[in-house]
Amino acid sequence: MSVKAFELVPAVERDLLMGDKARINIECIECCGKHLYVGTNDCFIHHFLLAEVASSKGKPGYLAQKLLHKYLGLKKPVAELRAASALERLIVLCEGIVFLVDMVTLETVPSAGGGGAKIRGVASFCVNENPVNTDPFCVEMGVLSSKRRTVQIYMVYEDRVQLVKELTTPEQPCAVSLDGYFLCLALTTQYMILNYNTGASQDLFPYNSEERRPIVKRIGREEFLLAAPGGLGMFANAEGVSQRAPVRWSESVIGAAVCFPYVVALDESFITIHSMLDQQLKQTLSFRDGHILQNFEGKVILASTKAVYVLVPLPLERQIQDLLANHRVEEALILTEGAQRNIPKDKFQNLHKRILQQAGFIQFGQLQFLEAKEHFWKGQLDVRELISLCPLLLPASSSFTRCHPPLHEFADLNHLAQGDQEKVLQCKKFLISYLGEVRSTEVVNGCREDVDTALLKLYAEQDHESLLDLLASDNACVLADSVPWLEKYHKYFALGLLYHYNGQDSAALQLWIRVADGELQDPTRSDLFEYIVDFLCTSSNVDLVWKYADWALRKDPIVGVRVFTKRHTSKDQPDLNPDDVITYLGKHSQALLLYLENLVLEKRVQKEKFHTHLAVLYLERVLSLMSQSPKDEEQLTKARERLQALLRESDLYRVQFLLAKMENREELLLERATLHGKLEEHDKALHILVHQLRDFPSAEAFCLWASSSRDSAYRQQLFHLLLGVYLDGSPPGQSGDSGELEMAAVDLLNRHGEVFDAVRVLRMLPEGWSLQLLRPFLGRAIRANMHACRTSRIALGLAHSENLQLLHDRCKKPVFVSEKKGCHLCHNTFSEPSVVCLPGGVPVHTHCVAQRVRDSPTKRHTEPQFPSWTLQLWS
Amino acid sequence: MPEVSKMKKPDVKIVLLGDMNVGKTSLLHRYMERKFKETVSTVGGAFFLKQWGPYNISIWDTAGREQFHGLGSMYCRGAAAVILTYDVTNWQSLAELEERFLSLTDTANHDCIYALVGNKADLTDSKAQLCQDSDGLVKDRTECNEECEVPSGCPTPPASPTSLPGVMLRKQVINEDAVTLYGRILRYKGLEEKSSLPAEKMCFETSAKTGYNVDTLFETLFDLVLPSILRKRQENQQSPTVDLEECRMVGSKKGRSGCC
Ligand SMILES: Nc1nc2c(ncn2[C@@H]2O[C@H](COP(=O)(O)OP(=O)(O)OP(=O)(O)O)[C@@H](O)[C@H]2O)c(=O)[nH]1
Ligand SMILES: [Mg+2]
Repeated sequence: MSVKAFELVPAVERDLLMGDKARINIECIECCGKHLYVGTNDCFIHHFLLAEVASSKGKPGYLAQKLLHKYLGLKKPVAELRAASALERLIVLCEGIVFLVDMVTLETVPSAGGGGAKIRGVASFCVNENPVNTDPFCVEMGVLSSKRRTVQIYMVYEDRVQLVKELTTPEQPCAVSLDGYFLCLALTTQYMILNYNTGASQDLFPYNSEERRPIVKRIGREEFLLAAPGGLGMFANAEGVSQRAPVRWSESVIGAAVCFPYVVALDESFITIHSMLDQQLKQTLSFRDGHILQNFEGKVILASTKAVYVLVPLPLERQIQDLLANHRVEEALILTEGAQRNIPKDKFQNLHKRILQQAGFIQFGQLQFLEAKEHFWKGQLDVRELISLCPLLLPASSSFTRCHPPLHEFADLNHLAQGDQEKVLQCKKFLISYLGEVRSTEVVNGCREDVDTALLKLYAEQDHESLLDLLASDNACVLADSVPWLEKYHKYFALGLLYHYNGQDSAALQLWIRVADGELQDPTRSDLFEYIVDFLCTSSNVDLVWKYADWALRKDPIVGVRVFTKRHTSKDQPDLNPDDVITYLGKHSQALLLYLENLVLEKRVQKEKFHTHLAVLYLERVLSLMSQSPKDEEQLTKARERLQALLRESDLYRVQFLLAKMENREELLLERATLHGKLEEHDKALHILVHQLRDFPSAEAFCLWASSSRDSAYRQQLFHLLLGVYLDGSPPGQSGDSGELEMAAVDLLNRHGEVFDAVRVLRMLPEGWSLQLLRPFLGRAIRANMHACRTSRIALGLAHSENLQLLHDRCKKPVFVSEKKGCHLCHNTFSEPSVVCLPGGVPVHTHCVAQRVRDSPTKRHTEPQFPSWTLQLWS
Repeated sequence: MPEVSKMKKPDVKIVLLGDMNVGKTSLLHRYMERKFKETVSTVGGAFFLKQWGPYNISIWDTAGREQFHGLGSMYCRGAAAVILTYDVTNWQSLAELEERFLSLTDTANHDCIYALVGNKADLTDSKAQLCQDSDGLVKDRTECNEECEVPSGCPTPPASPTSLPGVMLRKQVINEDAVTLYGRILRYKGLEEKSSLPAEKMCFETSAKTGYNVDTLFETLFDLVLPSILRKRQENQQSPTVDLEECRMVGSKKGRSGCC
């Protein structure tokens, strides 16, 4: 397969040139703007005006108008012609002589002042298109001598030529090209580069110029194209390095030229066109009697012996589209990118994008997703082009229409995959990953709804896990379009999320409840019920909460009550009034208990009503458990512990109310003791504990609990009370072992000796008790007394000595206080004579010291460190 | 005429040389495209650009055919590394390296690195035959050599080998021959053996068919030419060629130093 890169267009036909004179042949041509010059073997120069015309089918065409022809007056053919348009001269080589001809009149230019406008003995010459000399009115020329092994550099002026340099070559040169200082020469057996400025030379490669005609063409700055052995076209730069791979011509190549990005070559019967970008042969045109092929300022002109043609490049876009039509993606892209320099920037960018997109679709069609993705991405494809390959993915509201002319040939994925469902699936998977990647980029600006909706549909259809992520985050899915789709695929949970995202929480809840109740099937979440409850917890719509809490409580009170207990409160989420909740929970006793527990025990709401309510509920539960038979002892113990804990810890419930409820309940003595304790009826409480329950540890614990937030005197009082109860023995009429009570008293004393006032205790104890029995108590009491006594003695002594010290200080050094002197602590002056003196005789305000003592945390509870004696001094 | 655009400019050049049919093109295909495919005898030459880290390395595949021999010097001009390739089943292909190809490398850089590569190892060596992953690194080369030792006194090369799966061909070139040649190459270049890269490091046996040692070969060379890239970059920095005039000057200077 090949590309059509050029079209061969006739420019000057045989008739126009030579009429019916059969022996006349074209020898050389030159084209300069619209002017075409043809040199013939009968020593004529013909001058044509070449006009570009568009033919009927839009094909390019040329119209040549003959202006003049002129016989040069010699007997040999015109061998070479070069225009020097700035000088209005043609440089002509004929019969081994180079001379100048006027471009308009074709008259030979007479030499200025004798013989200066002619060079004799010339085999060939070339013009430097990139001269180092920048004088616009002179042309630099390289000349090969026909007899000697030399190259000469001439400057050509309007009416004279001037030799500026002559170099000898190792062999006879036979072709030359010139760029800057660099001559590229074909010698008899090799090519070489010669710097005419420095004389440095560089051999390129061997070539037998006698066997095959060498070709030396300058194709760009310091780069030449050469015919190489084996019919190769070799590239070489001025350093003698090849930077491009060679192209492969035929052995009989006659001429070559570069018309970027192509190398055009001519042989006996064909024009071949290779790409310089990948070295491949792209086009072959048959061309008989080919003779000349040259590039004139970008225009490739060919001549047979009888006629002239122009090789017109087809528009690049046509070439690229041809390549794409043949699925030659790489070549199309290489050609596009290679043409970047020759196209205006914005036009190139648009073209490049489009080609990338087309390339992407071709690769997509071949399921080469990696490559396709890269091209879509680079080409900034409107992703809806891709989406539209799946019917119904775009929302009905989308305004998208496919690009025209179309980017691809596919009607839809089914067409693309020719019904192969496996392939369709692969395409969809690619689409999912691609949409997922682009949806957050600016590629989707202006079509986010289309993209997100399409993605949602694909996710739902393919049962893709990211569906929920899409809906739970920022998205632009179109609700109306998504609802039926999600319903179709039973994605009810997801649909609820979408409703929620669109502010339709009620619709979401209704749907989810139907799923939770088993009316609809969607296995997405096995914990949907919990999810709904949590959803209600966070809902800012109170009406919804009231509406659906009942459903939740009926389904599972323990989880359902979380609607109220786990409710997040914040600015935009109004809290529910607990009284309303309690009323609401009236018929859900279990939930109500949990709710109250939450209020009282967790949130620690300090309201009598709730505490009493909870205590009553606890009590009722205990009572109901007690009335069961058989009793569930474990449950009962737990329930009583809870009740007791609440009774002990809360100070808010109505004690009398509860006490009344427990009246005559012999099973609840412990609770009653606690309640009495709350009422500070400690004697009653202790009576119950000691005499009715005979539970001495509890009695002791009661004393500790009841005095826990009181001072030590109160605690002492209580312990004495308990001791008294023990020592008084069993009240009359109640059987009991008074020895047991005495033992309890002894234990109490020995265990809590520090609480008691030992003297009072000794007075209370019966005479007959043995010391041995009370030894721990007494020992501790004596030791404590001794300790206290000694400590106070030491303190006394210390204070005394400090006083002495201060007194001494004062007597030695008087302390001066004046209105000018400042207080050390606050730096204000003194205004009255009473001051406090710090150790060392430093006077300070009394209130400053007081302040300091108050502020110092370590000293707050101790005596002020500074012995503060007040001075009544005024000096 | 529009200025001909050059592709990404390579930082350094590596050239593959060797007689026709030794497998140069196949080696490059194997490395660049990770597969072994049918080739036609190369015409002229071809080159590939390999991105190696931040650098572009151009690798030139040359034609082994006699007809294109003259182009070799030009391809080698300025090369930082030359891979001299022979076919382990063809004694003559090793001999040709010395007779025909070595002189082409005269135009290469002065510090050019030379690697000797015996390809088609899969035909003589069971290890190379199996090795599909070329990261399997060099197994034990010395051990391999003992196994594949050719009985001495049989120097006549047989007709061109055809590869029959499973049938081992006789190895005509053993690694020691390559090592000896490597020594001679150093001498030809006027290099001290001591200060040059050791033969053990620079003589490879590969198989383009199975991929045996192919990555190792190219990547060893890439790493070895890195200093050359850095030096070239530094030189370019020292003489920034912005001005066209100056550009020519630089070019001409290089031209001169290149040829004497
Ligand atoms: N068994 C085997 N055959 C190989 C190997 N490498 C190349 N060949 C074969 O050898 C033949 C020549 O391979 P090419 O890569 O074209 O050789 P070349 O060196 O590029 O040849 P020229 O381009 O003519 O210089 C082809 O038939 C390949 O299939 C190899 O490692 N093992
Ligand atoms: Mg090859």
